[in-house]
Amino acid sequence: MSAAKTSRALKELLFDQFFQQLPFNVAIIDRDYNIVQANNSFREYFGEWEGKKCYAVYKKQDHPCSRCQSLQIFEDGKTRVIDSVVVDKNGQWSHHVVQSAPLMLSDKGHVDYIIEISSIVTDTAQWQQEFNILFDRVPCYVTVINEDFRIVRANEAFRESFGDVLGKYCYEVYKRRKSKCPRCPAAKTFKDGKMHHSEHTGIGKAGQNIEYAVTTSPLDRGRDKVAHVIEISNDVTRLKKLEKEVLEAERLAAVGQTVAGLAHSIKNILMGLEGGKYMIGLGLKKDDRSLIDRGSEMLDRNFDKTTTLVKDFLSFSKGRLPKLRMVNPNDLVMEIVDLYKDIAAKSGIELKADLKPNMARAPLDPDAIHTCLTNLVSNAIDACLMGEQKGSEVVIATRDEKGILTIQVTDNGTGMDYEIKKKIFTTFFTTKGGEGTGLGLLTTRKLVQEHGGKIIVESKKGEGSRFIMEFPRKRLGMLHEETEEE
Amino acid sequence: MRKLIMIIEDEPDVMEYLKTILESEGYDTVGCMTVKDAIDAVRRTPPDLICLDIMMPHETGISFYTRLKKMQGLQNVPVIVVSGAVQQGDFDFRSYVPDKSIPEPDCYLEKPIIIPEFMKTIEKHLGLSSLPAKGKG
Repeated sequence: MSAAKTSRALKELLFDQFFQQLPFNVAIIDRDYNIVQANNSFREYFGEWEGKKCYAVYKKQDHPCSRCQSLQIFEDGKTRVIDSVVVDKNGQWSHHVVQSAPLMLSDKGHVDYIIEISSIVTDTAQWQQEFNILFDRVPCYVTVINEDFRIVRANEAFRESFGDVLGKYCYEVYKRRKSKCPRCPAAKTFKDGKMHHSEHTGIGKAGQNIEYAVTTSPLDRGRDKVAHVIEISNDVTRLKKLEKEVLEAERLAAVGQTVAGLAHSIKNILMGLEGGKYMIGLGLKKDDRSLIDRGSEMLDRNFDKTTTLVKDFLSFSKGRLPKLRMVNPNDLVMEIVDLYKDIAAKSGIELKADLKPNMARAPLDPDAIHTCLTNLVSNAIDACLMGEQKGSEVVIATRDEKGILTIQVTDNGTGMDYEIKKKIFTTFFTTKGGEGTGLGLLTTRKLVQEHGGKIIVESKKGEGSRFIMEFPRKRLGMLHEETEEE
Repeated sequence: MRKLIMIIEDEPDVMEYLKTILESEGYDTVGCMTVKDAIDAVRRTPPDLICLDIMMPHETGISFYTRLKKMQGLQNVPVIVVSGAVQQGDFDFRSYVPDKSIPEPDCYLEKPIIIPEFMKTIEKHLGLSSLPAKGKG
């Protein structure tokens, strides 16, 4: 064999090997849709092809496809990439991307065959479809905004609540504003490329208020600069409404308990009035002047008590919303420590503060917290005095963990037994005999509740008590006058 | 011998009122304004009957009652609870003391008391209900 012949035979062998081993489905088709050549991969995927038409192999149908792209290649000689759905030898449908190119045996520009190289893209197509469904159907608002703050993509839930929004400014859509919102989390993400979270009130397409919690993330497309931000928001309107209702219910429950407590106080006063009346009557009957005088004094005392109770009760029942200011809780605690330190020291009690460093400010009503702390510290000092214990101390501590701000007052005084603990918030209960009206703790609880918080008591008889005021930061400010966002 | 009734009550006017009623009805009385004083007094001179308030400083009347019921020789002293804490029909002793080995108090009277009802109850629990209301000595 000549060298030229050997070289040609080698080339043919190489080409054949190459053609057969290609990891794509390759087929050569003539003008009459006949498959004239195909590789191993093609056979493996579609089955026997010899003597068959392309449409019979690709689609398992008996007629050419209505918009056959390959046919056009025979006319214009241009390569095409087609997204096609085909049927494999087992009858399974799948997505393929097909590259079709003309094959010319001469240089006359006549297309004799076309070569079709196809590869499966079912997974990618499915992912795309799944992603689209997920994007649209996920039960929260999803939008993609560009650097101009225009919405370039919005999901179904968003469109349903906010209307047709593509191309519009996000601030225009979310809040019907003419300029960017203050505290805009998307602006922060554009700036630092990090996730940001915040809560806002928007206006829906029907003019309804929509409360939403939004998280913004950079839509990373491999560029240095953030070009798009994806905003995912949850509609928390109902949740917020429920939270407010719970707060209101707690307030009402407190009012109910207060009324029960008031009844208890009045019963004692009534006993005093009955007692006075009875003693006067008995004194008159027995002609006992001293008994009449004692009865009269008893009447006077209990009328006075009625007046005091009514006054206290009116001031307690004043319905008002907290007047919130951004304050450092530590400062409020220090005011109380400064105020009561000397008084406590005179009774041999050390009043101390145990403050969380770098405490973040919080929206609180400073006067209300002052009243609460005054009540709790005064109770704690009394508990120490009753405890007859040496080395008495009262500690006011601040903490801020897991989104809950706490201010607690701890004493190592007399402590309380189970029955007292059960009653302290439910009636006008006082352990101070005639001196207390029992309103201090009720008032404290009412003020704490108006802040959206709660008060917890831990106590052990003979060891001391701890009153913990807990203010979840998320609830702070829910029950104050609504103000326009900055 | 005159019967001795102990009144445990932190409100001075209520104490004076109850004492006046009982003394005018011919009973001896002893008054205690705290549970601590009452425990001492009850040990010193066991009374024939106790009128007990619930809400008191430091320790409640319930605490006194449970301690009394564990004191040798004093378990059978009748106890009438006189309190404004709950309405007469609503007093649920077991919500305070779930331990069933401690018997319930003999009676609960709501403040303000009605004198004839109060006296009738006292007499009943002193085992005197068949006797005339006055002149027990």
